[in-house]
Amino acid sequence: MEDVKNKSGENLGIAALITAIITFVLAVIPCVGLIAIIPGIIAIVLASVGLSQAARNNSPRGMLVAGLIIAIIASLISVSQVFVAGKIAQKADKWPGDIQNIINDVKDNVIKDLEDANISIKVESNGETVEINTNTDKKDREQKLEDLEGGNTQKDDTLQKKK
Amino acid sequence: MILYKRKSSPGQSLKVSLRNEPYLIINLFFTVVILLIIAYSGFFSPEKDNYPVACLHEKLTGEPCFSCGLSHSFSLIVRGRIDEAYQWNLYGMRVFLFFASQLMLRVVFSIFYLRYPDTRKQLIIIDFIGSGLIFLISFWPFITNIVFGILQ
Repeated sequence: MEDVKNKSGENLGIAALITAIITFVLAVIPCVGLIAIIPGIIAIVLASVGLSQAARNNSPRGMLVAGLIIAIIASLISVSQVFVAGKIAQKADKWPGDIQNIINDVKDNVIKDLEDANISIKVESNGETVEINTNTDKKDREQKLEDLEGGNTQKDDTLQKKK
Repeated sequence: MILYKRKSSPGQSLKVSLRNEPYLIINLFFTVVILLIIAYSGFFSPEKDNYPVACLHEKLTGEPCFSCGLSHSFSLIVRGRIDEAYQWNLYGMRVFLFFASQLMLRVVFSIFYLRYPDTRKQLIIIDFIGSGLIFLISFWPFITNIVFGILQ
């Protein structure tokens, strides 16, 4: 009878150690690390039951202790994968905002460069050449706009009231 | 199940049973598991992309993880397409080598365990330390990823 109990404790030790090692390997791989917590808990339960049996029967506990330690470490690694995934998810939320800011900066720079650009258009047709040079300097255009508006602003452009 | 018969003294034979040897049971179990992993890699094809295991990390975060493409990589290694395997996952080869080395070690250590019963304790210690080191080397990128992930 004692021998049967010792055997069941040993079997539990084997099962706990195998499950713990498998959990450890799974826990380290990010793709499946999150679900490694399930075999981890199973291994802890098996090792704990085995240890309580071993304490009652005074049977060897080496394998059970090894299984329990490996299972606890593997479960902690698995839980840490949740934190790592959470942090990556947080970063993923921030990234679109950062990318949008960079796009806006680039857009502003391109518009500024175009505003100060010199444009030259040359058209050649039947030996005749027409060349148009224009300076799109923002300051010049603003000045021209002010000059043009200067005459018009004196005029009263409001509708006349009906008598 | 009697695995091995050894003559301990003239006229006597020692029966080694699998039931009484937890180390052999564990070795046998892991040999079967590794063979199943290799069979899985051989069965599912990278062309059909019919792998049943999806990346939970990618589903949760929307970002691919370090181990994404590992199944593809394993399948390609089994088929001898090493260059393509590296393209799918940079660390696929070293993880595959871990499993391949473990398959070999389980068989070798089991033979040594049966042949030299006097050195069993030392054999198990060497196996534990050696396998641990191979594991650390093979899974180092994943381990550093977890550590940096927590620290950041």
